[in-house]
Amino acid sequence: MTARRLPLETSAGRAPLLEVSGLVMRYETDAGEVSAVENVSFSLGRGEAMGLVGESGCGKTSVALSLLRLAPDNARYQSGSVLWEGVDLLGLSHQQMRQHRWAEISMVFQGAMNAWNPVYRVGDQIREAMYQHFDPPLKPREMDQRVERLFELVGLDPTLQTRYPHELSGGMRQRAVIAMALSCEPKLIIADEPTTALDVIVQAQILEELKEIQEDLGLSVLYISHDMAVIAQVTDTIGVMYAGKLVEFGSTRDVFHRPRHPYSYLLLSSIPSVTGPRRRPVSLEGTPPNLLAPPSGCRFHPRCPWATEQCRKDEPPMMEIGPSQWAACWNSDQVPEMGEQLP
Amino acid sequence: MIRYVTRRLIQMVFLFLVFLTVTWFLLYILPGDSVALKYAGNPNIPPQAREVAMERLGLDKPVLIQFRDYMFNFFQGDLGVSFNQYPRPVVDIIGERLPRTLVLFLTALVTYYWAGFVAGKYLAWRRGNRGEMAVTIGGVGLYSMFLPFFAFMLIWFFSVQLGWLPISKFLDPEQWRDAPFAANQVFMRLFWVALIAAFAMFAANFAGHRSHSRALERILRVGGGALVIAGFLYYWFGTESGQSMRPYAGDIAFHMILPVLTLTLIAFAGVMLLTRSSMLETLREDFILTARAKGLPEGVIRDRHAARTALLPVVTSLVLAVATVIDGGVITEAVFSWPGMGEILISSVLNEDIPVAVGAFAFIGVLALIGHFVVDVLYGFLDPRIRVTEHG
Ligand SMILES: Nc1ncnc2c1ncn2[C@@H]1O[C@H](COP(=O)(O)OP(=O)(O)OP(=O)(O)O)[C@@H](O)[C@H]1O
Ligand code: SF4
Ligand SMILES: [Mg+2]
Repeated sequence: MTARRLPLETSAGRAPLLEVSGLVMRYETDAGEVSAVENVSFSLGRGEAMGLVGESGCGKTSVALSLLRLAPDNARYQSGSVLWEGVDLLGLSHQQMRQHRWAEISMVFQGAMNAWNPVYRVGDQIREAMYQHFDPPLKPREMDQRVERLFELVGLDPTLQTRYPHELSGGMRQRAVIAMALSCEPKLIIADEPTTALDVIVQAQILEELKEIQEDLGLSVLYISHDMAVIAQVTDTIGVMYAGKLVEFGSTRDVFHRPRHPYSYLLLSSIPSVTGPRRRPVSLEGTPPNLLAPPSGCRFHPRCPWATEQCRKDEPPMMEIGPSQWAACWNSDQVPEMGEQLP
Repeated sequence: MIRYVTRRLIQMVFLFLVFLTVTWFLLYILPGDSVALKYAGNPNIPPQAREVAMERLGLDKPVLIQFRDYMFNFFQGDLGVSFNQYPRPVVDIIGERLPRTLVLFLTALVTYYWAGFVAGKYLAWRRGNRGEMAVTIGGVGLYSMFLPFFAFMLIWFFSVQLGWLPISKFLDPEQWRDAPFAANQVFMRLFWVALIAAFAMFAANFAGHRSHSRALERILRVGGGALVIAGFLYYWFGTESGQSMRPYAGDIAFHMILPVLTLTLIAFAGVMLLTRSSMLETLREDFILTARAKGLPEGVIRDRHAARTALLPVVTSLVLAVATVIDGGVITEAVFSWPGMGEILISSVLNEDIPVAVGAFAFIGVLALIGHFVVDVLYGFLDPRIRVTEHG
């Protein structure tokens, strides 16, 4: 598949901050290669929020870690590129890559509750990142003021910075992680399931605040979640992943209200709707495939109600559906509108 | 922290009382009359002298009274007198032996822990390279070796074959003939210098880890190291009442190399494997990924994040190491004829010199308790989670 220009860059008239094209990343294991990221392409503009959704194990975290080149030792980048402001991160030396980390792209990890080293104070762990990346280095006074401001920004009492991680509640720790992610003024924050370990109310609060911060500071954020409903509230664009592949990509409005890929459709239909039109509950049958031996043709075909002979044989490319929507499906025109009855 | 420390201190005193009581009854009562009989049954001693001796040693009184007297005297610093070296006080004998043992044990403990920790750290960090297998197999091989046999092998190789190191003893009598110092003066000096140096190194490293500026950390480490060396040099070349201690301290240090090497080689693999597994576990933690994502250099991730956290279970194991060093040390002292506590312990038990044996046990017990206490405090210091929960 040739790289194609994505509409958001043209509509916004800005060069993308991040442009991932044809990325292939596999894990080498004793049992064979795990095809965790297969030919994934998307782009993200400055100040934009993108969501990456899909079932557990579909490769969301693998994509995120690839952007920072932090995937585990057995990860192999087979092909593709990750252009950051036009520079391919996959081609950088370790030294250069290190300078990009946190200063340009920071990350709130999945299960970020354990993101803190238990033996150092929270504030010191934030300072550690700032010492690494500010050149010339900040003075101790400036550093203190910065940490204070960051804590206020994420709704924490600045005096908490002298606490050890175990002295903070889950929500506080998570807010402090966000403060740490902001500390070196990155242009992009990757938030991998930033709130899953928290209770629903705190979850909503934190997402809301993160959205505000993102808009105020003009940051780009890549949200990762398995819950499309949560993601849709805070993002401009959404990418849907299935079994290591990006199967649909487009503006949040289009993907959320008019999904064109059967997988997105089924994923959305399984969300119980309170306000929207009454849906016939459709459930996603079956389980995701084993990525050691993914299905031929369209990887979704064993679970797809619209699968045809072609789907089993040929792999569908990303096809332009509308001005801001792509889907990789041979039969995307047959996917019903949301709320419609299934055929 | 203060409350935590006080509580531990009270526990220690209580434990020590129990330990001392059990030791006393085991040693005085179990062989019971046989002691008195052995001493008293000596045909060379006339019956009157025997009675006098029994009375003088306090062996004629009822057991509980003897025990009461012993405890009473113990806490006044009087541990009785030796049967065999009558009337030399036990305190005197222990006072002579203790520094020699302390210096040997502490040096061995610090050396083998340090070696094991560093080896384990790099083993985990460079997992999968070829050296790993060799170091692991070598270490475990040594670990399972029979200590006296291994010690004799080292003596044979370094002392007999190569002639580099002394065969045994803790000093060279020739050199000490007209020495202006007692050997123990030098030992005490060595002990304090080593203790202060170790503490200074630890403090400098700890402070270095906590500061986040790389430059400051380097200054603290290098500065700490330099201070320690300066201190050493000062003591090394310094004089006491106009005489340099250096040649004498040097002679003792020279005699220490082989026993310390023996204990280190035998024991470091245990620490190494523990550090390795603890470090591998730590490296899988999320905060290591965070540290990487923060763009920190590999050396910082390895030392400040992984090794510092992996150190915790290793420090806990120091409690067990105190025991290892004590029993390994007793054998080592015997093999190298190192006239320390271990040697006196063995000989006093064999010769049924009960006051000395109880005294020696009591002091080894005190050492173990102090070791335990130091480890506890150190742990509380290293792990903020303990510090706080124990607070409340
Ligand atoms: N180090 C590894 N070695 C081999 N396979 C791996 C490794 N890490 C992840 N995988 C596999 O790669 C696939 C993608 O994993 P990834 O963690 O990216 O999924 P995810 O979408 O983030 O899932 P989740 O929602 O559970 O976090 C999964 O099938 C997983 O089992
Ligand atoms: S290509 Fe075929 S199998 Fe794949 S999603 Fe579309 S219809 Fe289903
Ligand atoms: Mg994940």
